[in-house]
Amino acid sequence: MEKREVTLQISRFNPEYDESPYFETFKITVHKGMTVLEALQYIKDNIDSTLTFKGFCRSAICGSCALKVNGHPKLACKTQIFIELDRFNTDTLTLEPLENATIIRDLAVDLKDAQEKFEKIKPYLIPDSEIVPQNCKEESIVYPEEVERFDKYTDCILCGSCYSMCPAAINFKDYAGPFQHARIYRFAKDPRDGLKEERSKIAYAFDLWQCIRCERCSDVCPKQVTPSEAVIHLRAMSIEKGLTLNPGARHAIAFYKSVISKGILNEAIIPLMSKGIKGVIEEMPVALSFLARGKMPPPIVKPIEEIESFKKVVALSEEVEL
Amino acid sequence: MKKFAFYPGCAPKGASIESYISAKAVMDKLGIDYTEPESFSCCGAGNVEEVKPSVALGINVRNLAIAEKEGRDIITICSTCYLELKKAQKKLEERENLKEEYNEILSEAGLRYEGKTNVYLLHHIILDYYADTLKEKIKKPLNRIKVYPYYGCHSIRPKHITGYEDSENPSSLEKLIKLLGGTPVSGKRRILCCGFHASFSASKLAMTLTGENLKEAHDMDADCIITPCPLCHLNMDANQRKAINAIGKKFIMPVLHIQQLIGLAIGLSPEEIGLDKNVVPALYIV
Repeated sequence: MEKREVTLQISRFNPEYDESPYFETFKITVHKGMTVLEALQYIKDNIDSTLTFKGFCRSAICGSCALKVNGHPKLACKTQIFIELDRFNTDTLTLEPLENATIIRDLAVDLKDAQEKFEKIKPYLIPDSEIVPQNCKEESIVYPEEVERFDKYTDCILCGSCYSMCPAAINFKDYAGPFQHARIYRFAKDPRDGLKEERSKIAYAFDLWQCIRCERCSDVCPKQVTPSEAVIHLRAMSIEKGLTLNPGARHAIAFYKSVISKGILNEAIIPLMSKGIKGVIEEMPVALSFLARGKMPPPIVKPIEEIESFKKVVALSEEVEL
Repeated sequence: MKKFAFYPGCAPKGASIESYISAKAVMDKLGIDYTEPESFSCCGAGNVEEVKPSVALGINVRNLAIAEKEGRDIITICSTCYLELKKAQKKLEERENLKEEYNEILSEAGLRYEGKTNVYLLHHIILDYYADTLKEKIKKPLNRIKVYPYYGCHSIRPKHITGYEDSENPSSLEKLIKLLGGTPVSGKRRILCCGFHASFSASKLAMTLTGENLKEAHDMDADCIITPCPLCHLNMDANQRKAINAIGKKFIMPVLHIQQLIGLAIGLSPEEIGLDKNVVPALYIV
């Protein structure tokens, strides 16, 4: 079996003795197919029994072993060392605890903040009494096409990978977080739920519009849950519920109106429509620099060709339920 | 040879006109076979989706179907357009019944979506099909020029939707820079967000992120930054002063659309690639 020598730089930290985390280097031989978790266990068993990490199910279902491999959140149990070495064309991997969490020791973290927010967003089914029977004899039937609408969001294993690198969760203390919004969406689309789309108001209260749409949550998710899509769809639901008094929603609405009427965006009017006169003044220096370079977007745009059939597609698409 | 439908998107038709001018100049020079269907609509940039997800999907399926009708793959020069089109493809691939529903809608417009059209960013096409042609056309190799390749978000993420290259350690822009004779200087922030899509909702954070990204290129002694995305470009170029102020620094960093850098190397004039339209002066790098 193919073997390689690998250098693992592992972040160590014992809050009882250490002021800050530091790296310790371990050189070990790994074989093809060996996972990061197996390597950690090998070190613990053979080199340093104090090395601390979490890893319970070893089947990518409990979510406990998430850590950073060369800067990217991953599940240690489903991450093969060879693949990571090849990805970065290296013989060295850096293993660190997840960010935006409290280090318990070495690679083990406490996701307390994330968990507290999760508890606040009502992450459970609140039965709709008209749909969910009150007795144990009848079933609550959900049809496959209904399940399809939220199915992938039920795959979340609460590993915290997305929360650990989310720019909004790191920078805004009231932002719920990617997996939290994904859970809100999951129940908002569940026909058995009593709150359904009302849940978008919870998302809104937890700073829904602070997501910057960097797509990292959906990228790092080991289960391909796509929290970023949940955020966007919750925004749409919250607008539907009348929650439009913020720059993000106003911008989206202005954008939408512009696109559905002409088929193409009218860039010139967006600052005014989104932020009013304040927006125009704020954008003035940039507008002047565009003017000086002869590329000021025109205030009136020509509609795309076949605009009538485009509008037909828009009108009919409005009726589709995703 | 493959045939393409050019999908420039909205920003390249307006505030990023230089990205449109340079893309066409480069594609013409390389002999890429493309049409530019005037019936393509805006992709919605995620903003349409923030109001009506089903409409965002509808307009992108329509765009894909237009290219499919012509039997062409799509070339786009905007990462967000790229992701929006790929997202639509993925959604209909995952949910067969939705595909039928949208095909009923499209039939009203004389279109049908089967999922035969591929979607690429311009530099994917150049690297995969025109690398040899490009090499032959290079007149002014970018010797000694250090270029910071900035990917941003939507050209690479989420990987299960974009799929062209590894999202954690992408290399397409580095390959392209080397092909042009330049030296890539790759920093960790090259795959981090510029915050463009939060310009209205989280404007301060957006400017700080852009400032930090520019600073990394500056600290690594790059002569310029290139990006495949006109929206990242707007934040790094048009908003550069604001972004650098946001992190309390003072420096200047030219930012080019990748096709502008290609244009320089193949000997197109600054006007032919719209270099006079960049807000931060960029000509002095060559």
